[in-house]
Amino acid sequence: MRDVFIVGVGLTEVGKRVDVALRDLAAEAVVKAMEDAGNEKPEAIVVGNMLSSLVEQENLAALIADHTGLRGVSGFKAEGACGSGGAALLAGYSLVSSGLFDKVLVVGIEKLHERPTPDTARGLAYAADADYELIYGISFAGLNALVMRYYMDKHNVTREEMAHWAVMMHENAYHNPYAQLRKKITLETVINSPVIADPVRLFDSCPLSDGAAAIMLVSEKYRKLNDTPVKVAGIGNALDSPDLSSRFELDRFIAAKLSTERALRMANVSINDVDVAEIHDAYSIVAAISIEEIGFAERGKAPKLWAEGRFRPGDKPVLNPSGGLKARGHPVGATGVYQVAEIAMQLRGDFPGLKVGGEVGLAQNIGGVGSNVTTVVLRR
Amino acid sequence: MTTIQRIWRLRNRLIRLSGTKCQDCGLVTYPPKAACPKCGSRNLIEIELPREGEVLTYTVLNVPIKGFEQYAPLIIAIIKLGEAKVLAQLTDVKPEEVRVGMKVQATIRRTAPTLDGVVPYVVKFKPVRGEEASLKEREAEALTA
Ligand SMILES: [Zn+2]
Repeated sequence: MRDVFIVGVGLTEVGKRVDVALRDLAAEAVVKAMEDAGNEKPEAIVVGNMLSSLVEQENLAALIADHTGLRGVSGFKAEGACGSGGAALLAGYSLVSSGLFDKVLVVGIEKLHERPTPDTARGLAYAADADYELIYGISFAGLNALVMRYYMDKHNVTREEMAHWAVMMHENAYHNPYAQLRKKITLETVINSPVIADPVRLFDSCPLSDGAAAIMLVSEKYRKLNDTPVKVAGIGNALDSPDLSSRFELDRFIAAKLSTERALRMANVSINDVDVAEIHDAYSIVAAISIEEIGFAERGKAPKLWAEGRFRPGDKPVLNPSGGLKARGHPVGATGVYQVAEIAMQLRGDFPGLKVGGEVGLAQNIGGVGSNVTTVVLRR
Repeated sequence: MTTIQRIWRLRNRLIRLSGTKCQDCGLVTYPPKAACPKCGSRNLIEIELPREGEVLTYTVLNVPIKGFEQYAPLIIAIIKLGEAKVLAQLTDVKPEEVRVGMKVQATIRRTAPTLDGVVPYVVKFKPVRGEEASLKEREAEALTA
């Protein structure tokens, strides 16, 4: 396998982007990433996306390549529910490391504000088991709520401890010009917010987001396209059941553990070496379990640690300096690409929000309720 | 929205509550799988799960997904049924009465119409009557004490 480097990143502001069409939103990120990579064109593009069927558009690789002057390149769409961005990165990485291509552009794109919210919410629940879960009308928030109640009961976690996560994420996003929710909140904001699916409240949950992100991956031969190339030192993916019923343990995401182990082993680094990470906090409960499975906390202890002030700028590791899915936003199929772009910028020193720096960074992107997880380790 | 084909295919499982049992490692799984999630064996038999169990965790949805609005507030639980766990709707109970550890039993009920306008029947779970009765007795005792 050949080494793979990031030489270009491009992000769009996350939010309600009804002002632009899917192709134009994608183009904004693609053009920025190509400019960051010395205006070099890729030989292939891989598009991460979950629900473009909501805007009645599939065949996204062709659409985006054609719209951005890349007609004739190779490409396809990769899907892994909310982990589609991670899946696209895994495919893009493989295309370069295998030697098939030297320059691959990975694009994440999602537009969730085109259709009425009930349509979008139903679409997001397609990440679950259609035959055995959707048939009862449960939403994606509801599935996470089942895990949240089980976890809080089992580990004696308080409502207030859980609420600290959202407060911290809003503090971080306040500085991020790409973030959707750039306002600080208090514990009371979280605890008194409306119940969506008990015990999940509005502020335990990420917002609905539109957004696009792009990353240029290249082989050694092209690493000089950027003055500060960042090495993709390790990448790992793992799958678990899409249904919750057949999970061995309801308070664990085994796929998150496996994908982290695979990425760290490949990068030959220890979890203690990680300076900064962007983790998949679609709900505060997902942040808690992710932190534990990655190995930043013991089981059942993550909320206590973050309530005590851990994981903030100045700590090691710093978690989600972007504001995370909670406050940067969660443009589903683009999220995994955002996270890796943000970590690359942290290591390069040019992230436009909270700068935390470091040598080793990690990004973790989840599809479903922990059923499709990609973890990426980056090194300056 | 679901389709009549899906309901027809799942009819036995949605009514009879069948899971799969691995003949090699013994693991019981619901939903049924084509191979064992633990050991990978394809040597599985379909078994009927017990119809009584207890609530492991639950949620109350003020906003169910599109098509299920009529059931709000919708109560969904994961129920321990023998060696398996089953995600299903709770019925005949108020949201504030649901407890982790509550004993529940399977019952056949209507659910949201399919795209084709058919009203399918599925397994839902209701509190075990004995428990309800004993709860009422305990309340009565508490009042007279
Ligand atoms: Zn087995």
